[in-house]
Amino acid sequence: MMAGEMRKSALMAIDEINGSDEFDFTFAAHLRDPGGVVAAYHTACDDLIREEQVDHIVGCYTSASRKQVIPIVERTERLLWHPARYEGFESSDNVIYVGAAPNHNVVPLVRHMLDQIASDVFCIGSNYVWTWETNRVVREIVTSAGGRILAERLLELGETAVDHIVSEIIERKPPAVFNTLVGESSYSFIRALHEATMRAGLAIPMLSCSLCEPELELIGSVASVGCVASSAYFESIEGPANRAFVARWKARHGADSNPCVDGLSTYVCVMLLARAIRRAGSAEVGAVRRAAANHRYDSPQGPVWVDPDNNHCFLTPRLARSVPGCQFKIFWEADAPERPDPYLSNLDLTAVGTRLERSNDAMTKRSNHLRIVK
Amino acid sequence: MTRPSPFSVRGRRALVVMREEREISIVRRQLNRLGMTVAEHDPAEVPPPDENVDVIVMDADSIPIKSDPARAWKVHAPIIALIGTETPSRLKWLLDLQPASFLIKPLRSAGLYTALVVAFDSAQRRIDEAAHLERLEDRIRSRRMVLAAVLQTMRAHDLSEPDAFRLIRQTAMRHRTTVEQLSAEIITTGGMPNRTTRTA
Repeated sequence: MMAGEMRKSALMAIDEINGSDEFDFTFAAHLRDPGGVVAAYHTACDDLIREEQVDHIVGCYTSASRKQVIPIVERTERLLWHPARYEGFESSDNVIYVGAAPNHNVVPLVRHMLDQIASDVFCIGSNYVWTWETNRVVREIVTSAGGRILAERLLELGETAVDHIVSEIIERKPPAVFNTLVGESSYSFIRALHEATMRAGLAIPMLSCSLCEPELELIGSVASVGCVASSAYFESIEGPANRAFVARWKARHGADSNPCVDGLSTYVCVMLLARAIRRAGSAEVGAVRRAAANHRYDSPQGPVWVDPDNNHCFLTPRLARSVPGCQFKIFWEADAPERPDPYLSNLDLTAVGTRLERSNDAMTKRSNHLRIVK
Repeated sequence: MTRPSPFSVRGRRALVVMREEREISIVRRQLNRLGMTVAEHDPAEVPPPDENVDVIVMDADSIPIKSDPARAWKVHAPIIALIGTETPSRLKWLLDLQPASFLIKPLRSAGLYTALVVAFDSAQRRIDEAAHLERLEDRIRSRRMVLAAVLQTMRAHDLSEPDAFRLIRQTAMRHRTTVEQLSAEIITTGGMPNRTTRTA
């Protein structure tokens, strides 16, 4: 699903640039679809560079695919504009990382959990690098705050047999569930957990740093309500830039279609690229990279710019709760775009706080680094 | 026993545990140039017995961290880890395997020989250190015996503790044995052995 959303968004951005007077050049899109087959990314990228003489490549959703492409763009001095959030611990000169770094999405969500929900958590995720690393960060923050990881359950990618884990959750009644499942595994799990908690009369908060609006639709309008999600983009962001973007999206893709963070991020990739080319006066990779650095773009997700220290982007972290209608209601956002920290080298665990008071009085709970909006 | 030089890799046996054919072909070609024999093993399978392996070249990214094969990789042959993902969760798993050396992906023909030499050298050092540790632990274990022998000698010869120890040490030197071995003899025979001949 994500590949389709990302392609739609890239093409939309390209059409907007090509139809705009603001740019004295047009983009020609060369499409390749490796279809999630990891080894095919190397071939597709090689082909784009050799055959199509492409300078800039927008794409890759998984880290496995990105790691196929990086050696080629490094060897041939091209730029990969990478839209997806990922687990961090990478910083190639030939990649512009436009998706969230772990300090943008994982850290605020865990802090919110510790401050407002619970210090003990049950983790469930897909058995791959993003879950492993996210869980490690969750564990580090939670345990340093005096909390506990009650369990860490993993499902193979694509696995939809979730009942044994749902039963375990119902039996153990953890105060929170941290979900890093992806795709169908996640949808099956959220549906099954919703049904089981309803039957058992339980309310167990579930947190995710990847859920997006089109996925809420896939989960179902009832079961998808009440998830706490962390993301740099939600469709419900206020402000003229996003309202106009959503209107253009719906005009192009239909009133029933919803943009999502990965699609928006792909759109931002193309826009950042176009602005950097305009600023550089050239599509040459070195010039574009220099021009992209610190060049602010007021995007639908707010101001975005590339931090030349690590080629990742300043983004605004946000937390939201899913509501009826397959939308997210934002309840917190950072005061300003946050500097990307792909190695989490600025994560100060001593500042995360102590164990949550076992009290229901919200006033006694620490929340000095979270600001509630609305 | 003459130990093999870490620089001579010809004839040594490598087990390649990798997934991607493009990278495997780089490693295979370079190992063959160096005169090593190469066997391949599917990363999805549990590890094979390692008695016929001198070094393992392992693509760390090819083995899911939380899996049966991941837990089973506790082998004695030195491991050269090929690293693509530098996340702490992956590195922690790797550290538990105590890799003897590593290479960062993407692979090139250069670098593998250095990784092999470092791996063979550090594996040999590990063996040497383990043997050294074993000797030290033996000595610690025999401290109690030495103490018992000193006490017995103090009583039998009416000596102070430093004099009793000196006597044991001098006797051990004369007999060309260790203090620990002589102490064991003193305890079993009930006194200082009356050997005058040197055990050569």
